[in-house]
Amino acid sequence: MRRDLTGARLKIDSITLARFMPMHLLLGADGCAQSVGPTLAQVLQDKARLGTPFEEMFEVRSPGGAVTVHEVLERAGHRFRLWTRTERRCGLRGHGQSLPWDGRILLNLTFVDPVGAVRDHGLTDADFAATDMATEVLFLAEATSAVTRELKGLNLRLEGARIAAEEEAMTDPLTGLRNRRAVDLILDRLCAARSNFGLMHMDLDHFKAVNDTLGHAAGDFVLERVGRILRDQLRSEDCAARIGGDEFVLIVAGRSEAATLKAIANRIIARVGEPMEFAGHAIRVSASIGIVRSANCPSAEAAQVSAAADRALYAAKHAGRGRAVLAD
Amino acid sequence: MDALLLRSVQNYVLDTFGEARWKDICDAAGQPGPTFEPMLRYPPGLADRIAETAAEVLGRPVHAIWEDVGTYLVTSPAHEGVRRLLRFGGVSFSDFLHSLEELPGRARLALPDLDPPEILLSEVGPDRFELRCRSKLKGMPRVLAGMLMAMADDYGALCLIEAGKDEVVTISVLDSRHSRARAFDLAFPGR
Repeated sequence: MRRDLTGARLKIDSITLARFMPMHLLLGADGCAQSVGPTLAQVLQDKARLGTPFEEMFEVRSPGGAVTVHEVLERAGHRFRLWTRTERRCGLRGHGQSLPWDGRILLNLTFVDPVGAVRDHGLTDADFAATDMATEVLFLAEATSAVTRELKGLNLRLEGARIAAEEEAMTDPLTGLRNRRAVDLILDRLCAARSNFGLMHMDLDHFKAVNDTLGHAAGDFVLERVGRILRDQLRSEDCAARIGGDEFVLIVAGRSEAATLKAIANRIIARVGEPMEFAGHAIRVSASIGIVRSANCPSAEAAQVSAAADRALYAAKHAGRGRAVLAD
Repeated sequence: MDALLLRSVQNYVLDTFGEARWKDICDAAGQPGPTFEPMLRYPPGLADRIAETAAEVLGRPVHAIWEDVGTYLVTSPAHEGVRRLLRFGGVSFSDFLHSLEELPGRARLALPDLDPPEILLSEVGPDRFELRCRSKLKGMPRVLAGMLMAMADDYGALCLIEAGKDEVVTISVLDSRHSRARAFDLAFPGR
């Protein structure tokens, strides 16, 4: 490809130069501006005056230590980086060379951060050459941020769905109380943290008779009713769960005084014992409750605490139903 | 592409006809839920099927639904991003039309697995264009036609835009400076 190109030398007027290279800077051999591309002029503002020396317009970032345009070209004419000496600094990258026939210097520059430059200087399509990739970069920046926004939204929605699914997996659908899975988790956590709590194991008396004589709908009605009573009687930090047919577990957080727990249990027994009416039939059930206090379980293992509550419940049933027994 | 269009149909129906009609459409189409996620994948052809169901439920031809979805995407304030991305195509409506061939490539830059339609624009006469759109989605030419109508308004151009057979959209620009173009700033207003 090497051949004499002097015959192909172009004569270009500054208007054409400005159209093809709206970010060019033509400097005299003395390093002072002779022509400033219109987009570069917009960025340089008052520093864009013709006759201004290169070093008054720009601070050279690389090559390090270079100040004048001659120093820049000598060391890194193929690629250098500048900051404009304007109030709002603008980062530029460029290349350049001195023109062999008259020693003038031609630089062509581009934005390091087109997104920021467009924002800071209010640039439009007309400020970029048609071949410039700046609009592609701007397009991409917006498209990517839209995609990221969508993905963030998707993440939030999936997280919401996950929480709902987890909640559902811990809930007894009939009564809206917690289920056995939730009890196991809570009990494990409380035991591991050696927290203070009261555990009650409750079972309905005469429930099977309701199911057998009035049908499952009546049984479900009773269970729902008991669910509502338990929710009413416990605080939000406590846990009420149905762990099987007519078996319930109550965890009272932060309380292990015998009197308090017995009072709660008796209140529940009284409420459950109130007559209910289902489809014109009067229904009466009662509840037996076994209570265990974390303070009384030195080993504090979930399985042992549960077993102790079980034994207390058995004792309550044995003692005549409709009563609460504290394991001590 | 299916996912994006499904979400677009969803938003269009929700904003225009309300939640109850959208639920009717999803039920009629046998969908398990009423939400389509634009970033997830759906079986190919589902978007066309949902649009057909929407047409039945809403009592409008399916092509009208797709055109409305296209217009909705450009004009709805909630999707300002779509209008902006399209306006990057050029300073005038004819610049914009010519840029449409570049659009699939640009879109793939942002979403490599998007599978956008293939777009070919021919200038068939002075101010007359034919846009050919090849896509796995039957509704795609109509969506584009709807978008073009809205973009013509955005650029202030008076146009006749018709989607005909064989995935061809014809565009006649009657007056390119019919009204004032909506403002467009290259810089993203949110930053």
